[in-house]
Amino acid sequence: MTAELQLLWLALMLYTLAGSTAIGAAVLAKRPERIILGVIMIGLTAHAVSLGLRWERLGHGPFITLFEILSSNVWSLLAIYALAYWRVPAVRPAAMVVMPVLFLMMAWLLVTSSAAGHFPPTYRTVWLYVHLLFGKVFLGSVLVAVGVAGLILLRHAGVGVARLPQLPDNVRLENLAFRFMMVGFIFESLMLVAGAIWAQDAWGRYWAWDPLETWAFATWLLLAFFIHLRVTVSLRPYQSAALIMAVFVLAFLTFFGVPFVSTAPHKGAV
Amino acid sequence: MQTFAVIRSRGDWLVAAASLRVTLVLLALFAAGVAATYALDTDAAFALSAPLGLLALNLAAAIVANPVFRRQTALLVFHLALLALVVLAAAGRLTYLKGQIELAEGELFSGQLTQSESGRWHRSQLERAQFVNEGFTIRYEKGVSRAETRNSVRWLDDRGAEQRAVIGDNQPLVRHGYRFYTTFNKGFAPVFVWHPTGGAARRGTINLPSYPVHEYRQALEWTVPGTRTTLWTMLQFDEVLLDPEQVSQFRLPERHTLVVRIGEARHELAPGARLMLPQGVLIYEHLSTWMGYTVFYDWTLPWLFAACMLAVASMAWHFWQKCVAQPWDGDA
Repeated sequence: MTAELQLLWLALMLYTLAGSTAIGAAVLAKRPERIILGVIMIGLTAHAVSLGLRWERLGHGPFITLFEILSSNVWSLLAIYALAYWRVPAVRPAAMVVMPVLFLMMAWLLVTSSAAGHFPPTYRTVWLYVHLLFGKVFLGSVLVAVGVAGLILLRHAGVGVARLPQLPDNVRLENLAFRFMMVGFIFESLMLVAGAIWAQDAWGRYWAWDPLETWAFATWLLLAFFIHLRVTVSLRPYQSAALIMAVFVLAFLTFFGVPFVSTAPHKGAV
Repeated sequence: MQTFAVIRSRGDWLVAAASLRVTLVLLALFAAGVAATYALDTDAAFALSAPLGLLALNLAAAIVANPVFRRQTALLVFHLALLALVVLAAAGRLTYLKGQIELAEGELFSGQLTQSESGRWHRSQLERAQFVNEGFTIRYEKGVSRAETRNSVRWLDDRGAEQRAVIGDNQPLVRHGYRFYTTFNKGFAPVFVWHPTGGAARRGTINLPSYPVHEYRQALEWTVPGTRTTLWTMLQFDEVLLDPEQVSQFRLPERHTLVVRIGEARHELAPGARLMLPQGVLIYEHLSTWMGYTVFYDWTLPWLFAACMLAVASMAWHFWQKCVAQPWDGDA
């Protein structure tokens, strides 16, 4: 096994350890946050070195094959969640929702071929990196919102109510989740703009309703609908949380589903 | 019992048109239009433009009628930028041009497109966007995966000075607002000189099917200019030009022949060979290449970008103000 894969395995094991501890800490109302963050940081470092080694070996970034996209997104999603975990204590119990999503992605990554893919010449542009960066911040913000929304839904379903007494009430949690969605909305808008600039240079059109563009725009529309709905009718926290989940599902399918069923040239670059 | 509000005056109509509930319905309709366009895989312009136009009207009415836009400047700027985007997108659709051309090496683009579609109000200035294809290089990775395309072009600028550039992949040639992009579509182009009896000689090329996509179909039927003589022409060579086992580059074959069929007669031409026809002499000069380009024109591009940036910046400003004004865990 190459050093690149060994480091990836190490990172995944550390993520699993940190995630399991975070879930346990939330359930048992313990506070080993420093340890959890430390383990995540070591994992992120090992993973970053693994991604860097692959980048160096193949001559392109991790955004061509499903393996690369899953790997780089596990890294970026966990980095964004770790940042939120560090800065916003109310987000910490959301590990119960966020980490299982990341565990699923890690399991998917482990059964995916790590073979290299062809790097198209149209991907050699700085706009690709700008597009990717905005996309990763968008999905990371929505994932944090999903974690908080998941807590609201768990409470609404009567699951773990006794285990989460220290958390703010659902109205405040919904307010917190909405703020992460607003960050997501801004970065998804930026992602679409950067993608359009790249598409104009790469394929001579800024928008062509290709599958990935259509799905990404549908996600943007759903977010816009959610924001307008929230100011039009007074949504209950669980209704708002359900909509946040819907946005995430659409975004997740756009990132990890559409590129691999599409035959359009614009694929995989998320 | 009154179940519906009665709309009495113009002001009431404005308020109704500005309703956020209408916005929600129109957003849902727009999403349905997007889904229909995607699912039916068709250019259903009406399914997109109708709800988008109504959304623009709804937004314009809201900006006039809803006092929140006068209290919150960032929100106003964001929605004005959205309106500008819709107007610019519509203007772009009415004035755009998309087209395709093929140019042999050394050939001048004089404004003629092989295929095109354009908006109703497009006024072509393509004749001002002349340039010459000076040839290209394309690298292939193992497995004949296309890598970089480098295409040299030259043109005369408005002062008559010669300009040169290398375009390809993410780098188009931009002339008078027209953007010329190289494509994967390229191939071999036999160059002929046609000497009609008693007429002036003309040099021309035929563009064989794209290579390597149509590697085994390098043949074309064409008619000699000013005659009814039809020639079936096929390029024949034995070399492996693009070896899947190694990195390679698009190039001309070192040795080749051109098979020409006129009716039942078959000829094999090497460069410099002459073919006597009843109406004159056809000389096969040499083998060259051709490049296919897509052409795109949309004067709104920089304005669209500016409107997008303004929209995103004002949206971020608005959300920031909201967050600062009230902490998430504060009292509502």
